Amino acid sequence: MATYIVRRLLQGIIVLLAVSTVCFVMFRYTGDPVLMLAGKYATQAEREQVRQVYGLDRPVHEQYISFIGGVLQGDFGKSYVSQIDALDMILERFPATFELALTAITISFIFGVGLGVVVSVWPRGMVSRSIMAGSLFGISVPTFLIGILLVMFFSVYIELFPSFGRGDTVQVGFWRTGLLTASGWQHIVLPALTLSGYQLAVLVRLTRAGMRETLSEEYIKTARAKGLSPAKVVLKHALRNVMIPVVTITGLSFGELIAFSIVTETIFQWPGMGNLLLTSIFETDQPIIVTYIMLAACIILSINILVDVLYAFLNPRIRYD
Amino acid sequence: MKRLALQGLLLLSITALPVSALAKADLVIATDAPPKSMNPHAYSSDANLSYMSNFFDGLLQRKVPDGKLVPALATDWERVDSTTWKFTLREGVKFHNGNDFDSADVKFTFTRMKDPKYSKLLNIANSIASIETPDPYTVIFKTEKPVPWFAETMHQNFIVDKESSENRDSGDYNTRPIGTGAYKFVEWVKGSYISMEANPDYWEGAPKYKSVEIRPITEESTRFAALVGKQVDIVNGVPVTLYDKIKTMPHIELISQAARRVIYMDITNKPGTPFEDIRVRQAIAHAINEEQIIEKVMRGQATLAHQVPDVPTVGYDESIKRLSYDPEKAKKLLADAGYPDGFEITIAGPNDRYINDEKICEAVAKYLAKIGLKVSLDVKPKSIFFDEISEFKHHFYLIGWFDGSFDFGRSAEKLLHTPNPDKGMGVYNGTYYSNAEIDKMIIDSSSILDRDERKKALQEINRKSVEDVAWIPLHYQQDIFAVVKGKNIKFTPRSDRWIVVKEIM
Repeated sequence: MATYIVRRLLQGIIVLLAVSTVCFVMFRYTGDPVLMLAGKYATQAEREQVRQVYGLDRPVHEQYISFIGGVLQGDFGKSYVSQIDALDMILERFPATFELALTAITISFIFGVGLGVVVSVWPRGMVSRSIMAGSLFGISVPTFLIGILLVMFFSVYIELFPSFGRGDTVQVGFWRTGLLTASGWQHIVLPALTLSGYQLAVLVRLTRAGMRETLSEEYIKTARAKGLSPAKVVLKHALRNVMIPVVTITGLSFGELIAFSIVTETIFQWPGMGNLLLTSIFETDQPIIVTYIMLAACIILSINILVDVLYAFLNPRIRYD
Repeated sequence: MKRLALQGLLLLSITALPVSALAKADLVIATDAPPKSMNPHAYSSDANLSYMSNFFDGLLQRKVPDGKLVPALATDWERVDSTTWKFTLREGVKFHNGNDFDSADVKFTFTRMKDPKYSKLLNIANSIASIETPDPYTVIFKTEKPVPWFAETMHQNFIVDKESSENRDSGDYNTRPIGTGAYKFVEWVKGSYISMEANPDYWEGAPKYKSVEIRPITEESTRFAALVGKQVDIVNGVPVTLYDKIKTMPHIELISQAARRVIYMDITNKPGTPFEDIRVRQAIAHAINEEQIIEKVMRGQATLAHQVPDVPTVGYDESIKRLSYDPEKAKKLLADAGYPDGFEITIAGPNDRYINDEKICEAVAKYLAKIGLKVSLDVKPKSIFFDEISEFKHHFYLIGWFDGSFDFGRSAEKLLHTPNPDKGMGVYNGTYYSNAEIDKMIIDSSSILDRDERKKALQEINRKSVEDVAWIPLHYQQDIFAVVKGKNIKFTPRSDRWIVVKEIM
């Protein structure tokens, strides 16, 4: 078991190294930050001066080695634009993104599984048919369109929810939360719905597929024959067995929601990490971009490793070699 | 038990109190660009300077609506000789932390601005050779070479407090501004909002709105939704595409005015290219139907440009006229120049920098195809495009410009003069346009002391650049602002787009 975990961790580190190399090489081709750093009236000599101060005149491999050296000491460098520590800047925005992703995943889990059960129990009803059609809609319509439609309807036409921002926040220790104020809840509804759309649709279909299969199993028939109430049969005997893949998918997609909520955050001007990333790309602020990508890789990797390890614990027959 | 419940209630009300207090700012402004830093020298873009103008003062300031240069922290200024500038400072001004303002702060500020670690306003700072402070309220700048627009930039070189700037680490300095401005900094939640409160001791008198929040909303449709949902009072950067729709809304007042930024086609005269012949350059200028671009591409939200500088800039001359739209004449000029069947031409440009930049390039391409040129388009993201400009990769491209100094002299040095890295000339002359006569006129103009005489010299350069088709001016962009009615807000937009809250009544 221990060797298995160690091996997974080592693999993770190699992946991170590869990610950092790809990032670094890629940014050679995304524009020269010096142009932005030196200001629009700068002369060639002033640009060279800036290039030296930021160490951008050194060969790529030297810059890469000093970057990796810094990372090992927890120093990801400073944002070119704001001169603030890149990791601090991103972590400061982590709570906003985390709360958004958490709310979104909760919505998609509750409604996804709930609707999935409804659809599998009454597969031929009008309600079920429209849910299935709706889930197709949720999978195929892009996030930004869902977001804009929600804003048009809920904030512009019926003026029920605010269209942007996070509302009032409260500082609890190092964590700035919006989930403790009424305004915070009002503000999170639309972006969380937008972000949850795709996952919700996937979970509906996943639950339905699992339930349909399980409901035709022999032990379900036995349970029914024993005279158990239909609710108990469905929820206790069938749903439990379906939950394993559903929970796995939910867990895995949580990491993705944190890392890739960029579109939603931009539409709703949510002060999270994705929003920062997009701004930084437009400004060729490389330290922020590299740090973000590394962090996203870390989050997704750790969740993957965690799921793998849990699987190995839960089901000793599973081995990945 | 009862006491416990009471205590609990009290605790709840205390935690709830600041929340409700926070929600009500007297004025909420939505802008289209977030601040990058709270270091007033960190960024030369107007988007960032706009925020800073509320926390800091320059030695001089510019007033709405015409951008006239008037005293701020300096009460008087004078160009003693071609390289010497003398400023008399205002007495009795205090920084937000209580420190007194004097000439040591000015000297410290301009010295710090030379350091690329702290400053992106290197160009003006590096032009200073020495700073003398004979007494606490006099500052004398000596420049390396004549910089006629030196005072013209003093509205954007914000003065920082020497003592607190030296004693704070760069993280604190970059996030918590301490200035002399009309507003004191309260809080900056990055990506969300900046809140500020009125400075009651401001030297120009306390501003009208006590608490103000500026919310950057970069996404156009979200800014629109915030405006329609009345969540904000003032919005800048109203999208051109939504202008007609918003105009019909009874609760919103729209203000549209010509912006400072001109959009123009830069064109080379490099020997060995077809553009070497002035008739080819004239033909291209005659071929472009700019009126139609304004009507169709810009939906009427742009002003025809006859020249590169805008009206308030020193060097603007209203008698200069652009070459008219005349495709027949264009074809004839091409034939005269020896290209009756046209030649291959590439139109370059950014696709994420200016309003409808890519569509303008496409329109220009169509007009040029009509006079028989074989056109290809090469539009790309600005971060790559501007790199290529500094490498002189293109012969013909779309670009925009306005000069923060309101002085055509600096623009001409950067855009028109033959590129010469050693002298800092022609940095943005990406086509390598070169005209010895214009170069000489630019150099000569920089040491003229008399303002009127200098203005005439700059107008002459301006005229010459249009006559020689060094560039083809297209239009000035339009800035559209929206104000929500009902709160009696008097808002006059500035031509530099700065939101200076003390000017809002």
